[in-house]
Amino acid sequence: MEQVSTTAAGRGPQKSGATGASAESAGSVTKRLSQELMNLMMTSPPGISAFPKSDSNLFEWAGTIEGAVGTVYQGLTFKIAIHFPSNYPFVAPKINFVTRCYHPNVDIHSGAICLDILQDKWSAVYSVQTILLSLQSLLGEPNNASPLNTAASQLWDKPTEFKAELLRLYRPAEDIN
Amino acid sequence: MASEQLWSQVAEKWQTSFNRLNRNEPGITGLLTFSEAWVLARDFLRPRDIDEPSPKSTVNRQQLRAAFDNLAQRRMLTALLEEFLEDMRWQLPHITKDIEGLMKQYEATSDPIFIAGCISRLVLWHKAWAPFPELGPTVVNAFTNTFQTHVFSVLPRSFSHGFKSLVSATLNPEYATEPPVWITTLFPQSGPPPDRWDKPLWQAFEQLGMTERYESLIASVCYEHVEAHMIETYSKVWDRECLSEARDWMSQHILPWLLMPYAPNAKTVEEAAPFISGIGTRLDYHVCKTLADLRTREIFDIIVDFPDSRPALDDLKKCILRVDHRSTLVKTLRKENAHRLLHPGADTKMILQQYVSIIKCLRIIDPQGVLLFKVADPIRRYLRERPDTIRCVVASLVADHESGDSLVDENDTVQPLQQAQVDDYSDLNWEPEPQDAGPDFRTNKPSDIISTLVSIYDSQDLFIKELQVLLAQRLLAIKDGNFDRERRNIEVLKIRFGEAQLQVCEVMLRDMTDSRRTDQHIQSQKNNDTTQLHPTIISRHFWPSLQTNTFTMPGQFKTIQDAYQKEFKTFKPDKKLVWMSHLGTISLDIELDDRTVSADVPPLEAAIIELFSQKDIWTIDELIETIGSIERPAAVKALGTWIELGVIKEEDANTFRLLQVADAAASSKTTQRPQAMAVEDEVPIVTAQQQQAEQMKVFWKFIEGMLRNLGSLPVDRIQQMLKFAPGYDRSVEQLGQFMEAAKREGLVSVKDGMWKLS
Repeated sequence: MEQVSTTAAGRGPQKSGATGASAESAGSVTKRLSQELMNLMMTSPPGISAFPKSDSNLFEWAGTIEGAVGTVYQGLTFKIAIHFPSNYPFVAPKINFVTRCYHPNVDIHSGAICLDILQDKWSAVYSVQTILLSLQSLLGEPNNASPLNTAASQLWDKPTEFKAELLRLYRPAEDIN
Repeated sequence: MASEQLWSQVAEKWQTSFNRLNRNEPGITGLLTFSEAWVLARDFLRPRDIDEPSPKSTVNRQQLRAAFDNLAQRRMLTALLEEFLEDMRWQLPHITKDIEGLMKQYEATSDPIFIAGCISRLVLWHKAWAPFPELGPTVVNAFTNTFQTHVFSVLPRSFSHGFKSLVSATLNPEYATEPPVWITTLFPQSGPPPDRWDKPLWQAFEQLGMTERYESLIASVCYEHVEAHMIETYSKVWDRECLSEARDWMSQHILPWLLMPYAPNAKTVEEAAPFISGIGTRLDYHVCKTLADLRTREIFDIIVDFPDSRPALDDLKKCILRVDHRSTLVKTLRKENAHRLLHPGADTKMILQQYVSIIKCLRIIDPQGVLLFKVADPIRRYLRERPDTIRCVVASLVADHESGDSLVDENDTVQPLQQAQVDDYSDLNWEPEPQDAGPDFRTNKPSDIISTLVSIYDSQDLFIKELQVLLAQRLLAIKDGNFDRERRNIEVLKIRFGEAQLQVCEVMLRDMTDSRRTDQHIQSQKNNDTTQLHPTIISRHFWPSLQTNTFTMPGQFKTIQDAYQKEFKTFKPDKKLVWMSHLGTISLDIELDDRTVSADVPPLEAAIIELFSQKDIWTIDELIETIGSIERPAAVKALGTWIELGVIKEEDANTFRLLQVADAAASSKTTQRPQAMAVEDEVPIVTAQQQQAEQMKVFWKFIEGMLRNLGSLPVDRIQQMLKFAPGYDRSVEQLGQFMEAAKREGLVSVKDGMWKLS
């Protein structure tokens, strides 16, 4: 990388600055993501997990969340897709449910999630692990104030019916690839 | 007309013949004399059965001579010879019968005495039938030819075998002092007894033309005799040079014997020299070959016995030069090595020792190293596969010579490791490679043993790493603060591996001395109660990873540690002190109601007994919980130490009570037992192998992670994805093996080459 920037520096100082910076940031993002992966693998917190989808692209991950014990989601496993932007961790990753998830804050069709730390409350100190843990707790404690799935939010107070609806829509995870 | 001419011709011929026979005697008196002479001569010559009385004695010698002269004058000797041979042919069945009878007896008994008898009879026949030598060489030769042709044609196949045993009997040393009885009866000698008992026998052979005919047989008897003698005398005799001894023996025992068959007419040794030089050279070759074969068969044990077996190696070197035995030697040694050395039953240290001996031995035999190169290859390949080879080599590098672990002589000068050499084109003493050198043979100039051992592996880094681990173990085991030996080792190794490679070791060594200095400083502050604690402070980055079982020392130990840490912080503010509480030893005096128990114990033991000063009864689970991060077996072991010392007692299962007053039964038990050796000898350093296992655990987490999130994957995909794991360097094959192992443990399952978590 250093070599690239020095040769570029010979041609034009202005251009070299830009190339060097972007290359450097891409490098640091990769480094950060590798570090996060390493941490996640080593701590392996119960019920959550994630891994890059392919060895060539560190920005696309697949994740797994198991419903916490004592919630209606207990015993269910949800697959999610994580997309890291190139300016991660300054911008939050984009996360979607892949497994259909009946939940007040999850769009049943697109899998989009409404979670504050994924939008305006995002901070660079969060990591994949904290996001996954937040999602796991979100399953048990939805924010009914800002529902994406109003039907689900209305049904939340009736656990038996909610569970019936959840199980009706739930499809066990298939292999992603 | 024509018939008339023919008639006259015939008549003329007739007249000439008549004149020749009649010798111009009047009438036919000449013819009559001739006829008389013919009958007389023929009758004299006619071969007879020797068992019948011979008429020869009655014949008038003068008359006979006249008769032969007469026949010679009339040029009728040729005709007489033909007649004689014809007569002989008629008589030959007598001999045949004779031989057959004796040979049958031999075949039934295998006793060579019948062969001797047979030969004795043949000599008699030969003597009886032989025409007298005055008749000229033509007659004698013709007779001999016919006689021998017949005899050899009727001798059965078993004869050669019998002949061989008869000849070998002449080499029997017992007969030299006391000749066999049969020799005098079968071959009666008229004159004084011969200088050698077997002389008549050899004369008989010569007379019958057997020496010539059976020369190869006689030679093979000689070879076999030499071979048997050498194998009997020199097997397992490695402590003296046998080749020269064997040659002496040859000239003393075999050479005189050779005179009989090869130079029967020579009076002196000088006269015989040209006759026996050929067979002599062949025998000398045979001696070398036999010795080379023998030593080649024994080569493995010779190498084991080295250096006591040095003379045997010198012998082998000389023999190999003469008989070109190199490839056989290589083949044999390789086979022996594979059979006796390179198998799981052999200790790595032993293999290394034998390898070193092989290097030394083969260098004696073949200084250029071609043999060594060929033999060493499988050993090196095998050693490379052994997990503890490096450890053994390294251990021998730093071993002291008293312990006998060392592979090298103390006298060897320490020299830098030699790299594989490139040909030096300016070398005036350059020699071409030996012709049996393989294509990948490298001319190894005599390099030292350690270089050879280190070159088993392509990289020296492995050695350095293992060296560090070993050094760590040894340094931490030193209790008296005397690091001179380790310092010396490091200096020696620096010469071998180079300064840069051993920098880490240097730091480790300095840590030890620095620790003492730091400790002295902290102790000198006096304003604390740290006097009992003398830590070894090591730099984490330069030491191999130590087992990370750190627990917190309870009670007074903690107080001391904290106080020390505080002092350390003021002394070296830029450094952080992390206690490895499980390492080291603690000297304790335990004051109980009725006694004081003194013991040197590992920290965990001390921690546990410290807890007993808080309350008298603990369960094992409580103890583990209080100390934290220790394993149950370790706790049980520590408790066991105190039980043996009679300080605590197991009341119920897993419940222990402090014995403030000595338990009578327990104390009597302690006196019976020897004092428990509570101090651990081995410093728990993580070996390279354990590190690998540790790494594999990390990789397993990654594999688990990817399989959980990505479903099922083929093994090469897993391999690719594992590049996310830091430091992953395994091959697909290794990964495959690992996955199989995981499958056996029921962690994963595989279907159509796709792995998934089960």
